[in-house]
Amino acid sequence: MTQPVRSPPDDATLVRIRGLTTVLNGKTIFDALDLDIPRGKVTSIMGPSGTGKTTLLKHITGQMHADAGSIHVDGHNVARLSREQLYKLREGVGYLFQNSALLTDFDVFENVAFPLRQHTRLPEALIRNLVLMKLQAVGLRGAARLMPNELSGGMARRVALARAIVFDPQLILYDEPFVGLDPVALNQVLKLIRTLNQTLGITSVLVSHELAAVQQIADHVMLLSNGKVVAQGDPKTIADDGSPWTRQFFGGEADGPIPFRYPAGDYAAELGFAGAAK
Amino acid sequence: MNARTPQHDNVVSQALTQIGNCGLFLLTLLAAVPRSFRYLRETTRQLWFVGAMSLTIIMVCGLFVGMVLMLQLYHVLSIFGGTSASGMVVALSVYRELGPVVTALLFAGRAGTAVTAEIGLMRATDQISAMEMMAVDPVAYVATPRFLAGLIAMPLLCCVFCAMAIFGGHLVGVTWLGIDNGTFWSNMTAQVDIHTDIVNGVLLKSLAFGAVVSLIAVFQGFTTPPTSEGVAYATTRTVVASSIAILALDFVLTAFLM
Repeated sequence: MTQPVRSPPDDATLVRIRGLTTVLNGKTIFDALDLDIPRGKVTSIMGPSGTGKTTLLKHITGQMHADAGSIHVDGHNVARLSREQLYKLREGVGYLFQNSALLTDFDVFENVAFPLRQHTRLPEALIRNLVLMKLQAVGLRGAARLMPNELSGGMARRVALARAIVFDPQLILYDEPFVGLDPVALNQVLKLIRTLNQTLGITSVLVSHELAAVQQIADHVMLLSNGKVVAQGDPKTIADDGSPWTRQFFGGEADGPIPFRYPAGDYAAELGFAGAAK
Repeated sequence: MNARTPQHDNVVSQALTQIGNCGLFLLTLLAAVPRSFRYLRETTRQLWFVGAMSLTIIMVCGLFVGMVLMLQLYHVLSIFGGTSASGMVVALSVYRELGPVVTALLFAGRAGTAVTAEIGLMRATDQISAMEMMAVDPVAYVATPRFLAGLIAMPLLCCVFCAMAIFGGHLVGVTWLGIDNGTFWSNMTAQVDIHTDIVNGVLLKSLAFGAVVSLIAVFQGFTTPPTSEGVAYATTRTVVASSIAILALDFVLTAFLM
């Protein structure tokens, strides 16, 4: 039976994922993953490297399609949307890329103004004020005329953040938002994410490894491993829930259910010591 | 006897797949043309980049092609006492073949590679994905303006190339080798036909070459693996594929237009 394009939106859940299965290059990334992202909350998705956190964000935004399962964003089945419908949905979604992805032909101001210029017919004076307000929020109003190649990694992330929030979207996806930020900038970005969530009711999804930062702003944490959600709960107590997954991940232990090493053949044999191993 | 190996089949099937994908990409490009009209500023910017910025190389090369052509023809035609026809032969050679073909080859090397590298780097640095996420169609915003710019720029560049080649031929033939100025121009104007030589030779061919080179450059940029090695290979493929396509298409067009 085909799935409907739109199902009645659930007031409490903005993103609903059911039975998501993704196999990339023979490796199972998601194995019938079920996940709900609550509306108006800050949800953090954590997990070891290579577990598919960024891939999950790409599924949510329709950049990648799954092998099986469904993803509903605000009641819309993302995989079944037409290009126009998907773009309409994306106008309400902000996305902070892991590597900032600033447009290198434009300066900081024009990067932030880009979505406004493409989707609105606002007067230039209003665009200018909106952009300057967003740049002020990330502390870079003075850098408005710098080019992306003149920015440090942390500054570029803050510009990308300003661009992601320029439309005050209903959903913002942050892919590693704290990487490369100095403590002052980190604190300001944390405050900004929290303020956006509290004042505008924006739903935020954070992909991050920084538990200390996540604990300050997240309402809910999910730990992904082996293609499934292995633990979830309150960020302040999840590390103490006693499960082997959380104990290993938050304790930084090499041994446990989360594999540290990428699957490989016999080590001694690969080094040519097969005989010695016997 | 050469046996067909799986490698041969693989290379052939890969080449056919590439051509098929390129054809499908052309359809996507053409479908995006109406949407790209709202990015007129971007098209103008690309026209400056691929057209105006290529002027120097086109003018210099056009000048030297005309000069060397006149030199060669003068020496050959002097054997038969027909040096007065040199200007006319230079003009016909340039309008019918050398102008569009050399301009297209230079265009592929100068602008085609730049377009491929630029789009490839945009892919490698997630700028294309960022546009997708901002609900901006990258085919309409990035690919189509570059394609249209190439389409518009090529005939104009070809006209400049031809003018410079004639000027180079005049410089060598009249100023240096002593051909009579009046004979040079009158023979040329008597034999050059506007429809056959200018419209079919210069404009139609250069329009077709502009479309092919721009399509290959944009396609290679959009489909390159997002790595530095991938961008390097894509840039090389743009030059190789464009050169082959230009020469093959030139033969086909000449056969039909003659």
